[in-house]
Amino acid sequence: MKVIECSELTKSYNRKKVLNQLSFSIEENTITGLVGRNGAGKTTLLKIIAGYIKNTSGEVRVFSERSFNSLNVSGNSIFVDDQMSFPPALQLGELLGEAKRFYPNYDANLAKRLFDYFGFDEKAYHNRLSKGKTSTFNMIIGLASRCPLTIFDEPTTGMDEAVRKDFYRALLKDYIAHPRTIIISSHHVDEVEDILEDVLLINKGSKLLHLPIAEVKEWACGIKGNSETVLKLINNKEVLYQKEVGMNTLYAVVRKDSSGSGSIEEQAQLAGLEVTAVRSSDLFVHLTTEAKSKGGIDDVFNNY
Amino acid sequence: MANYYILHYNSNALHRRGARAILNNNSSKPIYVQIAHWIESEILNNHFQADQKVYSQYQLAEMYTINPATAAKGLNLLVDEKILYKKRGLGMFVTEDAKQIILNKRRNQTLKQLVDELVQEANRLHISKQELITMIQDANEEEVQT
Amino acid sequence: MSLTTTSLVETVKNQYFYKLKANIDSFSSLVGIQSLAMLFSLGGVGSSGFSGGDISVNIKYYSSDMIFVFTMIWAFITAITITTKPYRNYDFTFVTNRLSSSLANVLFLGSAGLLGAITSVLSGNLLQIISALFMDEQLYHLSGGSSHYILGILTTFFYLFLISSIGYFIGTLVQISKVFVVIIPVLFIGTLFFQAFSLKEKEPFFWNMIQFYTTETTVSLFILKAVLTTVAFFTLATSVLNRLEVKR
Repeated sequence: MKVIECSELTKSYNRKKVLNQLSFSIEENTITGLVGRNGAGKTTLLKIIAGYIKNTSGEVRVFSERSFNSLNVSGNSIFVDDQMSFPPALQLGELLGEAKRFYPNYDANLAKRLFDYFGFDEKAYHNRLSKGKTSTFNMIIGLASRCPLTIFDEPTTGMDEAVRKDFYRALLKDYIAHPRTIIISSHHVDEVEDILEDVLLINKGSKLLHLPIAEVKEWACGIKGNSETVLKLINNKEVLYQKEVGMNTLYAVVRKDSSGSGSIEEQAQLAGLEVTAVRSSDLFVHLTTEAKSKGGIDDVFNNY
Repeated sequence: MANYYILHYNSNALHRRGARAILNNNSSKPIYVQIAHWIESEILNNHFQADQKVYSQYQLAEMYTINPATAAKGLNLLVDEKILYKKRGLGMFVTEDAKQIILNKRRNQTLKQLVDELVQEANRLHISKQELITMIQDANEEEVQT
Repeated sequence: MSLTTTSLVETVKNQYFYKLKANIDSFSSLVGIQSLAMLFSLGGVGSSGFSGGDISVNIKYYSSDMIFVFTMIWAFITAITITTKPYRNYDFTFVTNRLSSSLANVLFLGSAGLLGAITSVLSGNLLQIISALFMDEQLYHLSGGSSHYILGILTTFFYLFLISSIGYFIGTLVQISKVFVVIIPVLFIGTLFFQAFSLKEKEPFFWNMIQFYTTETTVSLFILKAVLTTVAFFTLATSVLNRLEVKR
């Protein structure tokens, strides 16, 4: 079953398109990572899915319903980010009680255990929590609510490394015990990628990639060696990134193509070049860097 | 820059067997291939016998903090290679020939690749064929002695 | 994970109890504002006296009018407050849609109005008791039984509810565009000025409006007028809010 179906989804603010003709669908009980650069439209997309904001054109269906103003979508989903707002009059313990009131699958026991594990005080107030603690508390609400659609928008903002690891681990364990559809947007691809099943990469409001995370590593490869040899090899290939690394040595990231005779890796190895894997996070950066500056930030300083 | 994830959560099974399992996120191999490789090693080390049940995708997912789908992909890789077989509703089991298949595969692929690289590197360093053979023999004797 | 169907009634109920807790501060401000009004009222609203020979009689009238007016202002401000962005966002943290959020708001304002009505009517008594106890005055109570109280509470409630529906509507307009922050006071004061300076001898517009309700002597007709107006304002506000996006 498809939990989310978007077709030609467009959202504009003052004629500026934040999301542009976005079409994709997300299967039930998968963990999808939503990645993209700052301002790519990740949060806007997630808020449209959650029914917070309205799309300008196109269609978005969550649980086969239009999400804007749908009580069923709201009742079966939760949107977690560091901006989640809670009434300042309520203490943390009371807020957990409110979550229990609203979400039918809410697990008070899990919430309490996480609450104690992360050292929260029931009498504390949400608006006096530190950044990391705020994210941690919001994450507890998000996990314990056990919503069939759980959306985490940059859930680890401000969390320290240990808490981030604990969070991913808690998320995975609870997902295994209670499978549900989860979307996580994150800048920390390296950290989150292991627990993902699929990745949706968007750039400037458009979809770039949507594929199983296992295929990301096989999507492109890095080639390093003598500049001329590398250049000759990558001549008619889709080059994502290239950089001089030392005397007459070039490093290039190229897309693997299944068609043609012999894979690019074999060709490179035959030519005596070094073939390396490309980290998912690096690949995403390469893919979302402007075509005119394939050298990344270095291009700013070259010919300066 | 190496990005190692050392397994330390709830991995009683691993500790009991004294195995150290490390997933390397920087490796050129996708995680599911590394998972498959690790199970192969467990079989080679006799931690799993023929017809014994191996970890489920969920156990693996928990052990390594990876998505169950990724773990399943690793297991299916081994099913395709006839190292594991599925019993419906019961899980994955080690086949009779598993060990032999793994040994053959590692001989034919892994070792051959290593030898290829060795020869390549030797050529780059202008080491003669005879010299290389002597080096291998020396290394072998050292290994036997220890 | 299996989907659950979310019922509107259940959601409104949950939102209502959530709001009662979340807006607890508005009830403490009610206590504060009524105490203040009571303090102002202690001087009495009027006095008359006469003396003859050795006897001098001084009559002081106490009324809860001031408290009533202050409570009206409180209801108005409370209604505006709950239309503001943070308050709307609290709802969306948990389960809601815009309709359930508005309905829960109406219920909340109704409860607040009822509480305000009861306290302001009863505080009239408190006022008299205080003056009798502490100010060495003889108390002569001028009211007629429990039906008097019930009627007082009822009419006060409908006034408060009406005022909060107006507040809610104005608050909603401001949420669509900040321009209304300027437009509404300008219209209000502008009408007063315009009519003050216009040559025609005419009752001011707002005075007419107020009299439409205040001069109604039949209770049932008054309630009908008040309820219809209240419903109209809430419906308008709800239909506007129904299109508003959640931005935080």
